[in-house]
Amino acid sequence: MFDSISRSASLALVGGVGAALTLGLSACGSSGGSVSGSSGTGAPAGVLTPVNESLTGGARGGTLTVLNHQDFEHLDPGQAYSSVDYEAVYATQRPLYSYEPNTFAAPIPDLASAPPEISSDHKTVTVHIRSGVHFSPPVNREVTSADVAYAIERGANANVANPYFATYFASLQGAQQALKTGNGGAIPGIVTPDPHTIVFHLEEPKGQILASALVLPLSAPVPAEFARKYDAHKPTEYGNYLVATGPYMFKSNGEGKVLGIGYEPGKSATLVRNPNWRAATDHRPAYLNQVDIRIGADPNVIGRQVLEGSHLVQNDTPAQAIVQLAYEQHRSQLEISPGAGTNYIAVNNHKGPFANVNTRKAFWAALNRVAMNKARGGELVTNVMTHFIYPEIPGFEQAGGLKGPRVDYNEHPQGDAQIAEKYMRLAGYPSGKYTGGATLQVVGATGSPEAPDAEIVNQTLKNLGFKTKFSLVDKSVMYSKFCGTPAEEIDVCPNVGWAADFGDPQGVLDVTFNGKHIEPTGNNNWGQVNDPTINRKMEAAELLVGSQARAAAWAAIDRELVAQAAAIPFAFDKEPNIEAHDVAGVGDVWNIGSWDYSYTSLK
Amino acid sequence: MTGYVVRRVLWGVLLLILVSALTFVLFRILPTADPARLRAGPNAGPRVIAEIRANLGLNKPLLTQFWLYMKGLFLHFDLGYSYYSGASVKSLVFDRLPATLSLTIGSAIIWMAIGLPIGILSALRRRSRTDRGAMGAALLFISAPEYWLGLIVLYLFAADIGQIKVFPGAGSYTGLTADPQKWVTSLILPWLVLAAGFAAVYARLMRGSLIETMGEDYIRTARAKGLPERRVVLHHGVRAAITPILTIFALDVGVLLGGAVLIETVFDIPGIGRLNYAAITHADFPIIQGTVLLAALFIVVANILVDIAYAYLDPRVRYS
Repeated sequence: MFDSISRSASLALVGGVGAALTLGLSACGSSGGSVSGSSGTGAPAGVLTPVNESLTGGARGGTLTVLNHQDFEHLDPGQAYSSVDYEAVYATQRPLYSYEPNTFAAPIPDLASAPPEISSDHKTVTVHIRSGVHFSPPVNREVTSADVAYAIERGANANVANPYFATYFASLQGAQQALKTGNGGAIPGIVTPDPHTIVFHLEEPKGQILASALVLPLSAPVPAEFARKYDAHKPTEYGNYLVATGPYMFKSNGEGKVLGIGYEPGKSATLVRNPNWRAATDHRPAYLNQVDIRIGADPNVIGRQVLEGSHLVQNDTPAQAIVQLAYEQHRSQLEISPGAGTNYIAVNNHKGPFANVNTRKAFWAALNRVAMNKARGGELVTNVMTHFIYPEIPGFEQAGGLKGPRVDYNEHPQGDAQIAEKYMRLAGYPSGKYTGGATLQVVGATGSPEAPDAEIVNQTLKNLGFKTKFSLVDKSVMYSKFCGTPAEEIDVCPNVGWAADFGDPQGVLDVTFNGKHIEPTGNNNWGQVNDPTINRKMEAAELLVGSQARAAAWAAIDRELVAQAAAIPFAFDKEPNIEAHDVAGVGDVWNIGSWDYSYTSLK
Repeated sequence: MTGYVVRRVLWGVLLLILVSALTFVLFRILPTADPARLRAGPNAGPRVIAEIRANLGLNKPLLTQFWLYMKGLFLHFDLGYSYYSGASVKSLVFDRLPATLSLTIGSAIIWMAIGLPIGILSALRRRSRTDRGAMGAALLFISAPEYWLGLIVLYLFAADIGQIKVFPGAGSYTGLTADPQKWVTSLILPWLVLAAGFAAVYARLMRGSLIETMGEDYIRTARAKGLPERRVVLHHGVRAAITPILTIFALDVGVLLGGAVLIETVFDIPGIGRLNYAAITHADFPIIQGTVLLAALFIVVANILVDIAYAYLDPRVRYS
């Protein structure tokens, strides 16, 4: 998934306004520059972190007001796919499994009553469903396994077009056919022998990855008798007529209509308690009575309102000036979440100067990653990235931890010209500088911090002797028209990044570095990395069962990617969030630290 | 006169059709974001993107898309549906319109009420301290970006984050029908900030225009006839000097009715500007098209109204 990157992208899109307003606020008194003094992947002293926030003992009742600059993208659990969406979706829906706020590694049963049972051949996954979970009005009845089956089957419905069904659920028996017909009909590989059991039969031994994916909102039950008529629309309108299973529901009318009542696009959303939710069936304490979400205001103003106001949180990324202000003056109201994703430079492994591994290593060695991270806010919100599995994902430590693999081109985050020259000579350029005739196509993103980062990358390339054709475009254009389209033959994409769908290292490395996932359009293997050895190792690691074994195998692949300098990493993201002084916010490590409405309470 | 108005209205309709076509072409030809890709999310594969493209009708030939859009628009006043929320664009636009109308009309009244008298006074007391002081202040307000001014004003006077807690701050906007008193108080700061720059511009325009007018022969004639100076200035001078300002006023109001993005964002007012801005960031074409059309409509209507007003204000102007 792309949580943090989606958030960054959205902010980049508002760069014109946002940057200007940031300047405005800086003039009001906050000092410039990046924050220093933090270390490690966590938060500095006095700053909150979701890793150790208390999950119990909150005060019951009250209304929390959430100020968001960003609007939701999708409220339908079959379509939701960004961190802002997840904040509301996980408070209102119950997938089969979910994470407690302080972990991204150990899912626990949510709608399910026990961990998934994976058969010895890894081709069957059985899940038992809890009794006593009911849909919100107007459906009201108890949830059954058929509702989960329908929820997943509609992921293959072309009108729903779930963004990750093909990635994690395509190995179900009959799923390929379902994707082909796209009508959302029954999938033979999903069987419901009784109302509280669902069995997944797979074509391939990929039981572990399917079981891991059951934490995604696609596995949250959807009542067919209610949703089918909305799913018949192109695109589905179920997101405008939602029913809930979680502790909260969007305010709606008697027909379950949410649009214009509990959700006004670009303006507001209101979550109220689900009258059919039973605390005994759920791990969420659900302290709050109501959540009012206001959408669209300026991040700088929101930030100040939250820091100085009451019963408020900001739930999208605060402006850099606000993070600085919070750190300096309201430290106990600042939460920093590790594990918010990666930022790296995709270099064309397939064609051009960077098809040579030594040229890639030279680029890595020459790059001043510290300077790039300063543009992002410094150590408080980033760590220098040294490999590809990021903090909080199993395999991070085995792959090298924060320090990363001990290779000379990774040793000096400020950049080392001598090591760079060494690798340029190994690449066949005796002077230590590029002397070939190629002009590199470099396409970065506008806005901050992307544009300053891209400028540093461009300058580094010039210092290595390259001529460049340097362009900055809107981030979505960068992905869709240039970096995600191999035919464009872009040599360097300085502003790409990734965050996993769930706490499994495959979700970090597979789509982005496995040659089999190179697509003519919408490609996420931006560097067109297609190393047969790495591909084979990924194929093998994909089939492994058990967190430890998977972490070890994917960490080895990560080290191989570093050895090949498949891309040039520069920032492990940490995500800042802010709350009012009288809010006991609890953030979700698994959702880049975003506030969890089901655990947050008022003081 | 009637014939003239009818002709202007017909030209206005033609202009709106051209604006629709231009927006459509620009959106499709320039390297803008792919709405299907944005809606699918960055991790989605090509198949999902293709499905969404088909759902949104983006896989049809461009001419077909354009024809369907124009047919819906002009035969049924159907502006389409948001690519994201699926909400009707017409309902979204009409939902946001009252806030933008409130902001624009209120600030327009303020800037005219402040800018014109200052301009007249400066013109009549040319090179005096009053003139220099007023024009210096005008320069200051023209130079101050409205987003910056908005933040400063909030930081100084907003009830929540201000140093002197006087007026309701960002996010306090209340509809006129919901609570008239709150409507007024919630808009005082946005009105003043939006009006500040315009008032300064209009004061300078009025000053320049009136100085030029007061040098005309007919002003000398009016004075020679023994008319009181007040009547010479207001009836003969200002009346003629104000006509070019009205043209600009119509354009400014028309543009603002299409959305005052920065002010709406800083003060968290759910108006057309913010709707349009969010739509641009999501490549939500139906909303972009709807808001652009609305802005064009306001500009066309405002211009027609000004042309009509010309005839009444300036005896030299007659339409035949």
